[in-house]
Amino acid sequence: MKEELVASITKLVVEKLSQEQQPQEPEVNLWSKGPKDLPPVELKEQSAGQIEWKPLQPKQHRQAAPLSSASKQKSADTAEAEKKEKQLEELRKKTPSRIAVGRAGNRPKTNTWLQFRFDHAAAVDAVYGEVAPEVLKNLGVFTVQTRVKDKEEYIRRPDYGRQLSDEARKMIKERCQSSPTVQIVISNGLSAKAVETNIEDVYLSLQQSLNNLNISMGTTFYVDKGRVALMDEIGEILTPDVVVMLIGERPGLVSAESLSAYMCYKPRKGVIEADRMVVSNIHKGGIPPVEAGAYLGTVVQKILKHQASGVSLVKKES
Amino acid sequence: MKSLASREETLLSAGIDIGTSTTKLVISRFSLMNMAGGSHVPRIEIIDKEILYRSPIFRTPLLSATVIDMEAVDRLVKQEYEKAGVKPEQIQTGAVIITGETATKQNAEEMVHHLSAVAGEFLVATAGPDLEGMIAAKGSGAYDYSKKTGKAVANIDIGGGTANAAVYENGKLSGTCTLHIGGRLIEFKEGKVSRLSVPVERLVQQKGWTLAKGAAKDHPDIEKVARYMAAVIGRMLDKSLTAEDEVLLLGHPPQWSGAVDAIVFSGGVSECIYQAEDRQAAAEGYNDIGTAIARAIQEEHSLQRYEWREPDETVRATVLGAGTQTTNISGATIQVESSQLPQKNLPVFEVSFEYEASAGLEKLRSSMEEAIAVYDPGREGQNFVLYFTHLPHLSFRDIQSVAKELIQCRQLKPKPSQPLVIALQSDHAKVLGQTFQALKPEESVLCIDQIEVEQGDYMDIGQVLDSGVVPVVIKTLTFHS
Repeated sequence: MKEELVASITKLVVEKLSQEQQPQEPEVNLWSKGPKDLPPVELKEQSAGQIEWKPLQPKQHRQAAPLSSASKQKSADTAEAEKKEKQLEELRKKTPSRIAVGRAGNRPKTNTWLQFRFDHAAAVDAVYGEVAPEVLKNLGVFTVQTRVKDKEEYIRRPDYGRQLSDEARKMIKERCQSSPTVQIVISNGLSAKAVETNIEDVYLSLQQSLNNLNISMGTTFYVDKGRVALMDEIGEILTPDVVVMLIGERPGLVSAESLSAYMCYKPRKGVIEADRMVVSNIHKGGIPPVEAGAYLGTVVQKILKHQASGVSLVKKES
Repeated sequence: MKSLASREETLLSAGIDIGTSTTKLVISRFSLMNMAGGSHVPRIEIIDKEILYRSPIFRTPLLSATVIDMEAVDRLVKQEYEKAGVKPEQIQTGAVIITGETATKQNAEEMVHHLSAVAGEFLVATAGPDLEGMIAAKGSGAYDYSKKTGKAVANIDIGGGTANAAVYENGKLSGTCTLHIGGRLIEFKEGKVSRLSVPVERLVQQKGWTLAKGAAKDHPDIEKVARYMAAVIGRMLDKSLTAEDEVLLLGHPPQWSGAVDAIVFSGGVSECIYQAEDRQAAAEGYNDIGTAIARAIQEEHSLQRYEWREPDETVRATVLGAGTQTTNISGATIQVESSQLPQKNLPVFEVSFEYEASAGLEKLRSSMEEAIAVYDPGREGQNFVLYFTHLPHLSFRDIQSVAKELIQCRQLKPKPSQPLVIALQSDHAKVLGQTFQALKPEESVLCIDQIEVEQGDYMDIGQVLDSGVVPVVIKTLTFHS
């Protein structure tokens, strides 16, 4: 019964379609302001304010044109379209934004939409994910906790993410070298994925850079669910000259694995935000992690030389 | 870092153009600034170019038809520097370019190297018809116009001896071509033809015309030569040069793909079209065929279908291009030793990693051998640049392997103690340089990045600037034989 119904409707539709004269396919126009791939329509106002949309008939002279010139026109059109496509490609290369991706009617194309969903999902995963234990084991760092109990609390209570747990404070005091020149702290922050992907390259490269410059490093450790200002408390406990905090950035739709390096000269409780400085956008689509590590070494050198960071450093430098 | 963003640095640049008929000079000042955001790694760019001094147009001093008067050129440059209020040691970058027929003179090569040494510590020498065309297109504004509009724009720089065409599409070079078309190819003296250049003589012979030395200034064949030249320009633009036209072709035929949308004329002959510089001089005439060629171009039918764009500069397009458009700025995170700078005339050998760290690593040794074979066959110690392209995402361990392999390969060089110069396409120079430092601190390595060059180009690397970048000039050093 159902099949029969479907068949009869299909037949009706096919009949109706074959009766109607098919309008010629509209020309592809990359810059058209109107909806694409739809036959142009003409507005026909009828009595009582009723509006009827009716397909426009293709222009007469086009049909009348001889075949040879029509095909010539067509090849010129494709050449023109190719040229425009090339120009759009140039523009696309200049930004990671989703520009000139086309559309289907007034919706994005399926591929674009899927890519968007994928990137969004990756961002969510980055926040809720964890750094694989092997990564931290390879670097030889130990792990401590903040006052945060779980991810939900981490997001709701930023202040807890800025404080070490009692146990963590004890562990740091016991295991870390006191008053080092540079203290490196790693934290997942808002993107575990950022740490997992980039930390090895950034860390090893920074370590090499500091070695070359004869700047000694303290005992590096990992803080689970930390916030940037946690460095103030660490500064109080270990009294390093400089803290470098490598922390996962809030993920976006361009990259979910971007890492930041926050630095501060002698951080302590009550330090003002203007004294912190940051090198952000460390990931394979931004500044390459290995190059970032090499650059960070020279920034640390500058901080030590001027005994200042952030805005104070800028003032002292000029 | 904000520290760099707030600071602006300036750089003095000189451009000297020794052409077939005229010599001129410009001094300009570049402003450099960090264009990256405060929380990003610095990215230093040239943000402004200010022209401080334009010299008058001088006749190129010649001792004879084939020898440039080097002393006179020297004096001229010194005198113009004085007028501009600059000393040679203040010039930090720029180019001396020897163009047109002057490049065929006996002492052209000597001249250009001599000048680049006395006119500033870091002033590079360039020559070659293709390069001339490209530099002129940048000076005339044709390059900018194509970049801005996405159009295919042909710049045709017609000087005394040659016409150098360069086609840019969407800011990218798509081809060059050089023709024996120029004002000084027929010269007049006291109402008579005093000189016919070789290509014109051949053309006259080929056509069976009667024009010869000593003929009257208004000999009808002169008009014919000018018209023929204009028509050849038209045929060059749509790549339909005939066998007969080859008499005026210098080097390769046009090789750009696609059609040209717009044309820009620059150079001395364009001055006869636009009279941007000096109406008086144009009215008096130059005693050569230049004005006739200009008229023929304006009347040439096949050129009318293109969009004509007026040049920003006519006769000075090349010198402005040489003074303001030849300098690039390296990436801000690099590893260099200022005691080893500047480095001049280093040929470039490209090593493509094909987006695979292992592929690049495997190639290093053979590339080093090949580079030595190509650039230093006599094993005399000619240094070169290894240029790494198409790099994949490199891990710290990849960088270590590359550095270790390079240190091994360095022993292949005739003089292993020479600085090893590495240029990278992508931002990896600092970490690679630091890795070398960690491995072998006693030998110097120069690592720069974010540079676009090609195999066979020559590279000059200038002294480190305050913002940590180095100026880099890429050039082609070919003299007409």
